[in-house]
Amino acid sequence: MAQDFLIVGGGVVGMAVAYGLAQAGQKVTVLDERDDALRASRGNAGLTWVQGKGLGMPRYAELSLDAVTAWPAFADELQSLTGIDVQHEQRGGIDICFDADEAAARQAEYRALQQASPRIARGFHWRYLDRDALLPYLPGLGDNIHGGTWSPHDGHCNPLYLLRALYAASLERGVIVHPASPASRVARDGGGFVATTPRGDFRAERLILAAGLGASALAPMLGLSGAVRPVRGQVVVTERLPRIAQLPTPQIRQTASGGYLIGDTQEDAGFDKGTTLTMIQALAAKATRIFPRLAQARLVRAWGALRVMTPDGNPLYESSEACPGAYNINCHSGITLAAFHAGDLSRAILDDRLARDYPQFSGERFDVPA
Amino acid sequence: MAERRHTDIAVIGAGPAGMAAALTLSEAGLRPVVFDMNATPGGQIYRQLAAPQVDATLMGQEYIAGRSLVDAFVTADIDYRPLSRVWWLDRDGEGYVLGVLQQGHSQQWHADRLILASGAMERGWPFPGWQLPGVMYAGAAQILLKQAALLPSAAPILAGSGPLLYLLAWQYLQAGRPPALVLDMAPASRYRTLMRHPVRAWHGRSYLLKGMRLIADLRRAGVAIRQGVSGLRASGSDALERIHYRHAGTWRSLPGTLLLTHFGVVPEPQLMRSLQLRQHWQHEQQCFVPDRDATLSAGTNLWIAGDGGGIGGARNAEREGHLAGFAAIASLGRQPTKRRSATTRRLLAARRRDLAARPLLDALFRVPEGWLAEQPPETLVCRCEAVTRGELDEAIAQGGSGPNQLKAFTRCGMGPCQGRQCGESVTRLLASRTRRSPDDIGYYHIRPPVHSITLGELAADDFDNTNN
Amino acid sequence: MFRRSERARQPGRCVAIRLDGEVVNVPDTLSVAAAVLHVHGWRGYRRHLDGTPRAPLCLMGVCQECLITIDGLPNRQGCLEPVREGMVIERQGDDPHG
Repeated sequence: MAQDFLIVGGGVVGMAVAYGLAQAGQKVTVLDERDDALRASRGNAGLTWVQGKGLGMPRYAELSLDAVTAWPAFADELQSLTGIDVQHEQRGGIDICFDADEAAARQAEYRALQQASPRIARGFHWRYLDRDALLPYLPGLGDNIHGGTWSPHDGHCNPLYLLRALYAASLERGVIVHPASPASRVARDGGGFVATTPRGDFRAERLILAAGLGASALAPMLGLSGAVRPVRGQVVVTERLPRIAQLPTPQIRQTASGGYLIGDTQEDAGFDKGTTLTMIQALAAKATRIFPRLAQARLVRAWGALRVMTPDGNPLYESSEACPGAYNINCHSGITLAAFHAGDLSRAILDDRLARDYPQFSGERFDVPA
Repeated sequence: MAERRHTDIAVIGAGPAGMAAALTLSEAGLRPVVFDMNATPGGQIYRQLAAPQVDATLMGQEYIAGRSLVDAFVTADIDYRPLSRVWWLDRDGEGYVLGVLQQGHSQQWHADRLILASGAMERGWPFPGWQLPGVMYAGAAQILLKQAALLPSAAPILAGSGPLLYLLAWQYLQAGRPPALVLDMAPASRYRTLMRHPVRAWHGRSYLLKGMRLIADLRRAGVAIRQGVSGLRASGSDALERIHYRHAGTWRSLPGTLLLTHFGVVPEPQLMRSLQLRQHWQHEQQCFVPDRDATLSAGTNLWIAGDGGGIGGARNAEREGHLAGFAAIASLGRQPTKRRSATTRRLLAARRRDLAARPLLDALFRVPEGWLAEQPPETLVCRCEAVTRGELDEAIAQGGSGPNQLKAFTRCGMGPCQGRQCGESVTRLLASRTRRSPDDIGYYHIRPPVHSITLGELAADDFDNTNN
Repeated sequence: MFRRSERARQPGRCVAIRLDGEVVNVPDTLSVAAAVLHVHGWRGYRRHLDGTPRAPLCLMGVCQECLITIDGLPNRQGCLEPVREGMVIERQGDDPHG
């Protein structure tokens, strides 16, 4: 059967686009990697977040704002289609500042962003709250915290259930997923495209790379940008503890199942997605500094995952000029942007207007003139 | 910069393999550090043997036979650290870094060489109601016997497949508390296997005779034994009240308050998996075992001794401990002494003989491979996160194609036991649903911590202690 | 419940622990989990986060079913902690703590 789209990558980015295209009536095949692949989708913290996005690229901040606005309806839609509750909550979020310098720098960044975009100036709400003012939002907050920036747009979800719901919804809408079929080569093939995998060749009229770090090898084959590199994050999670009404932060959040997820580290460690004793200890120290009560909580799991990072940290959305019909979709905030990827972005791909509507996100911005 | 404690060689585990390895190293003039979770040496098999609470007439000679090893271990010059949990293990150059939690204090150790002797654990084997209080592993009941001569106050029912089942029944009989019933769940085909492999049967004749003697003693005392039992369920509200089993094609049911189960033992996987050591599915033992070479090496400066490398029993574990010790000594560039070479040859020959008998035991005590796929959907697979067989199948249908995707989709294996009790079940279920081999399916990624540690214990790591 | 056999090799030393508010003497070779099985049996040992009652399964540090509060610290693995004189132990029978 002739497929309209072949998507390389069964992570949260690829599956959101697969779902969006299938919703629009397209025939979609997804090629996924093996179970032990790098998989940023299974390692991230699950924030649906606007704070800190698009510093230096206001258009990205706008997309993030659009995405979190679309999230509640998106979560409802997934639940009604699949029965899976992705545990999305949008009651605001706080980005903690440990000291005065961090607090000053953060506020300056947000003000600069608002000056650069009238839409963000109007639409992005935030306030700086000192430690005592944060207490109602973060009960039990330690003394040794300066404060934090609060924003009503921020929230969180269960990123693993989101991935599962996208799979279930996509399968429900007729998407064909081939697990353990990593593409080693992508190319034009007649009027369409072909991807070569250990389980044979797959063909479709159009091809979308949602390959995360795999793009660095695959994207150049189709005249697309492979400018992504891994930035490791390490995360630890505690045993399940009684739920407390509190807001999520990038540093720590209590998940719907009760465990506290602690992360927000950045390292250049190549393709090593392991954990280090030093970093895990630093995370434990940070967690008990934020919530001293957690000293008694048991650590249940620690893991490392590789963020998919472009040179400027902003998403990469592009269509190939050399190979019309080939697209490259890559970003490190696939959870926040999932609602956008399944919605507006999928429609822009379908109508082939990525270059027109999202020119800022093309990989051309990384081309250094000779 | 954090200071670390350093040792030339560390041994993890103080069961027969770990004790033997440490003794061998100590006799060669080395002073290994031995980390063990328990309060006293001996591992599971020789538990409490340093101060026995029960005697040979009750436990059988094999338990008491470990006494000389335990005595030698406690008197040797070894840096033995009981109640120490290795919760973190990673490579560090050519050596290893260990995070050790010793009674609330976390320490970092660097070991140039490492012998893993972390033993085996009971195979997690889901059946309906296995989470009810009143259902325990036979191994746990035996631990109570060894710790303080504790016996069930009412006659228990024993069910499963494995030599321990009959041994415990016999020990309870000797102690005057015979079980009400023994349900042997090994597939009925096992005696045909025996007839087809007379050579195996010859190699394993001592095991066969011993097993026959235990069964004869039990029968003579009037203990009911049902063989070929093919279904098992436990039911009750707040604790076990009834046991249901299928025998000769018919479900039967009887009241009971204590069900002791045993479905064999498998290598404790967490430390080996933390190091991402290669494993392969061992069809005869029906579990994953690590790849080791002839010197028991599983990597640079790393040896695996005892049941952790594949189930071979206590005597074999002791021999492997000595062999791993010799291999580690050789890796230090020491010329083998005449005596050491002769001992090595003798140990290798004994090990070959003993392991030749193993396939017989494996064949006699197989567990039914397709079991889980046939259990009712409400059967808990992951006890920690309360994930059922039905939920796993639903997630498989939604694209959960591998153990880690399934873990992400359902939380199966995300609880505090770290997947120890459900990991093999998940591999098995995926293998049976997707008609692939366990090797092709693989296993969970094992994440630290390998053992429980609180954030407070971790944050307060005593960085500044130097070698002591 | 698990009772001490009359065939126990020696009377053995005992320690006094406080179990759910009550002082009891138990053999000093027992783990906390074993002591609870000795004194109270498996009923009422622990309530799991899914609301179901649970009790120790393996007693060898693997299954995490023996979680119990020891000296005020919740969710300790009772099978890995030997009893000590004066130890305060509370079962988590009503509280789905973890």
